[in-house]
Amino acid sequence: MKKAGQAPIKVALYGMDPRSYKTMELYLKGPCRGIAEVVSEGDALIDIIDADHATAGDILAACRQKVPQRPIVLLSLQTLKIENTHFVQKPVNAEQLMEVLNQLARGKKTKEVLAPPVPVVKQTRGTTDSDQQRIVADNSRPEARQPQRKRSTVENNEGGYTAFLGTLPDIDFNDPEQLLTASYDAKSHLLHYVLSAYKVACHQGSAQQLNSIWKPLLIFPDTRQVWLDADDKQLRVFAGVEQNKMFASNISLVPIDAGTVKEGKAKDKFQDMEAFVWKLTIWTSKGRFPVGINPALPVFLRHWPNFTRLLLIPDAMRITSLLLKGAYTPLDIIKVLNIKPQYVFAFISACHSLGILGQSQRRSDLMLTPEPPKANKKQNLFSKILNKLRGD
Amino acid sequence: MSQYKIIFTGPVGAGKTTAISSISDAPPVKTDAAASDMTKNRKSSTTVAMDYGVMSLDGGEKVHLYGTPGQERFDFMWDILTQGGIGLILLLDNTRADPFQDMRFFLDAFSQFISDTAVAVGVTQMDLSNTPAISEYQKQLQKLGLNPPVFALDAREHNDVSLLVQALLYTLDPGLVSE
Repeated sequence: MKKAGQAPIKVALYGMDPRSYKTMELYLKGPCRGIAEVVSEGDALIDIIDADHATAGDILAACRQKVPQRPIVLLSLQTLKIENTHFVQKPVNAEQLMEVLNQLARGKKTKEVLAPPVPVVKQTRGTTDSDQQRIVADNSRPEARQPQRKRSTVENNEGGYTAFLGTLPDIDFNDPEQLLTASYDAKSHLLHYVLSAYKVACHQGSAQQLNSIWKPLLIFPDTRQVWLDADDKQLRVFAGVEQNKMFASNISLVPIDAGTVKEGKAKDKFQDMEAFVWKLTIWTSKGRFPVGINPALPVFLRHWPNFTRLLLIPDAMRITSLLLKGAYTPLDIIKVLNIKPQYVFAFISACHSLGILGQSQRRSDLMLTPEPPKANKKQNLFSKILNKLRGD
Repeated sequence: MSQYKIIFTGPVGAGKTTAISSISDAPPVKTDAAASDMTKNRKSSTTVAMDYGVMSLDGGEKVHLYGTPGQERFDFMWDILTQGGIGLILLLDNTRADPFQDMRFFLDAFSQFISDTAVAVGVTQMDLSNTPAISEYQKQLQKLGLNPPVFALDAREHNDVSLLVQALLYTLDPGLVSE
C-alpha cells in the first residue's frame, strides 16, 4: 500500500497498445492508489512489460540491455519464471501489483542488489530461461498460449489434451519432501463456493445464482448445467487465483427462477455441471492434491469418469483402470504407472470434486499395497492400437 | 500375419456402423438393407449381416472391426464373431424405450466373451434424450457386478469412439503405454 506523502514510483510501460497503456496508467492512479506514475523510459525506475505481447521477448531483451540493473515486472496470463524479473499474474490484482512495486522501490532505495522474488532455482520441467522467453514472445497468438513443451507431452495422452495444469514456482514435484506439501485448500478458491452452491441447488431443487467479485454463475440442478459468461481462458486464470477474505465476504447465493432466467441467456454459455466442476478443479489444483486427501493413504474410485465429455488429464485412463483394480495410494500410483505426480494429483482432485473418489479406511487396504497388475500378453499389440487411435 | 478383432454390438440404431466408420482406415463394408420388420420403426435401413472395418497397424498387423447385426434373429452369428476377439464395444441408444433392458440383454448374450476379455459401453443419442444419465447406467452395471467404462458417445466423432476403444484397452491392461 502507498503510504501518505510517499512519492509515486516512476514506471515505464511496454508492450501495450494505446488503450491498454491508458488503462494501466489510470489503474495505477486509481485502484493502486497512486502508488506509481507512468513516465518516459529514461526517467523510469521500474519497467512493466505486458508479457503477452507479440514481441515481449524482444522488449525484455532490449530493456535488459538498456538499463541492466533496472527491475522488470512481467504481466501475463501464464505463470512465468524468468530470471531477474518479477511476475504479476493477469488479470492484475491491485494488492499484488502494489506489493511488488513497493518491494522493488524499497530495494532500489537501499541500493540493494535486487534479487528476484521468484528465483529460478527449480526448473521442474527442465524449462530454460530462453524457452520462457520464447513462450513470452509467442504469446500474442491465442493458439500459442499453452506452453509448447507441455502440449507436446500431453497430446500423446488419450488423444488430444489441449489445456495445461499450470505451473507452481514454489513446489518441486521431484523432491519427495516437497511433494507431500503439494496441497491446496479448495476453500481458498472459487471451487469451494461452486461446489457448495451446487449442493444447495440440488438439495433445494431450485436454480441458484452465485455472486462474487467475479462474474455471476447460474446453477440449474434440473438439467445439471451451469451458465457463466466467461471463456475457459478466463476461468482457468480465476480458478487458480487464491482468494482472500474479501472474496469470501462478497459471496452470496440467491435463488432464481430457472425458466425466466434461462430465456435471456446466451445458449453457448451453458455448460454441463460435471464437466465444469472437473475442469475448474484441474485448474485450481494445478497438479496439487486437495487438503483432506493424504497422498500416503490408499484411495479408491467408484467408477470411470465420463471421459468423452471431460477435459483430459494425461494418463487419466491408466490411473482410472488401476484404481478400479484396487485401492492404491497416490504415491504408489506415481510409482506403479511411472507418471508425473502432477497428473495423479490433478486427477485425484477432479474425481474428488465429482464425488467419485474416496480415501480408503479399510484396514486391509491400509496394510497392504496391491500387487501391480501384470502386463497383458497382448500389450505390444494394444500399444500399436493406441498409437493408431491417437494418430501417432 | 496376425489378425485381431474388436466387436461392436448393440441394438438397432445405436450407431455401430457409424462408430466403425469413425475409426476404420477403409470405408466399412456395409450390409444394410431396407428394413421390413419391426426395425423399420427406428431406421429405414439396417445391417442384415455385419459391418466390417479395419485398422492397419505398424508392422502390417490389422485389427478388424466387426459390427453385429442389430436384429436378434442373427444372434447365432455372435459366438462365431467373438472368437479370438480383443474385447467388446457395446453401444446403447438413449432414446430407446428401455435402454437398460437392451444393456442387460447384450451383456448377457456376450457374458462369456466379456468375462474372457472386457467391455466398454458407449451411450449414444444423448443429445436427443439426456435421461437416463451416465451415472444411472453405472449404477445398473454395478448391480450386475460390472464396472466398465461408460461414456456418452457421438458415433460420428472419431475422438469419442477412439476414447472408448482406448478405455477398453486400458481396462485390459492399466500399465499400457503408447510406443
